[in-house]
Amino acid sequence: MTESELFQRYRETGDKELRNLIAEKYLHIAAILAKKFVGRGVEYDDLYQVASLALVKGIDRFDERKGLKFSTFITPTITGEIKNYFRDRSHLIHLPRKVSELRTAVLNATEELTRELGKKPTAAEIAAKLGVSEEEVLCSAEAGWVVSLDRPSEDGDMNYYDVISDGNDVFEKIDTHDAVASALEGLSETEKKLVAYRFGEELSQAETARRMGVSQMYISRMERKILEKLRERLKKSMAE
Amino acid sequence: MTTVRLAAGGVCAVKGFDLDMSEDCKVCITEGLLLLKHRGYTVGRVRFFEEEGLRISVEGEGEGEEEGSPEDEISLALLSALLGEIETTERDGKLSSITFTMGSEK
Repeated sequence: MTESELFQRYRETGDKELRNLIAEKYLHIAAILAKKFVGRGVEYDDLYQVASLALVKGIDRFDERKGLKFSTFITPTITGEIKNYFRDRSHLIHLPRKVSELRTAVLNATEELTRELGKKPTAAEIAAKLGVSEEEVLCSAEAGWVVSLDRPSEDGDMNYYDVISDGNDVFEKIDTHDAVASALEGLSETEKKLVAYRFGEELSQAETARRMGVSQMYISRMERKILEKLRERLKKSMAE
Repeated sequence: MTTVRLAAGGVCAVKGFDLDMSEDCKVCITEGLLLLKHRGYTVGRVRFFEEEGLRISVEGEGEGEEEGSPEDEISLALLSALLGEIETTERDGKLSSITFTMGSEK
């Protein structure tokens, strides 16, 4: 299939398989261009990712009927995305001017006050000297520090990447699982069946009612009662 | 290439280009030289002319070839993307130099 036919078919069908095929065929352009921008403080892998995403977006925008070759079309698109990435990335580590100025003022005031007082000043003393709030002084001290995830953590044995939570706490999951399991223990067999249908299989109340051979109203009432019961038990077990 | 990039970086710094423009300039010069290298030139001459901006000419010396590399198309598109406009000259029907201007308001 020629380049033009491939794009024409993709435009007509919107078939993701075809888009993948096109992306694979032209992925080398993303790699070539990403390499050209290495050495500006961004890793090649990141640039390659930006370039690849631009390639996929470009495939959707390309119209082979305009007579342009895809490689000629996609090169400026990818280059533009890479340049945007550099611009946005530099914004990420640039502090707002106000914060940046306050930070400099705090550092200068700290030096001056240390000389005047013969000791390191407190945040309140710096705030009073600069005529800003203590909170602003404290915030400015925190702003602008970029910390590598590979930097050793305070205890020195592991790096930050190892110790920062990924939001997926296994111990918490076990605790929750245990608490729910013991709360469910106290339910009757019918109640357990309802919980399994409604919250295990995520069936609707109507479907649950049909399977259990009762009315939807009955399921609704029973569900409310069960949830109240479970809530009470979980509250109690958490208090213990 | 590293030497050329260093020299180009120096010229850009003297001209007062910001780091981004300086990096773009280095990429363009490197691409120009690669285009000529793919066409068989073994010696390349890079010249900087101080005008309203910085005009840069990358020339191949010696015998060139008509055929380039398949990557040349990408190099030319990249130059156009970064510069907007480039001038190319041919000698005996073969690409022999690439000229472009950076840092001009035009």
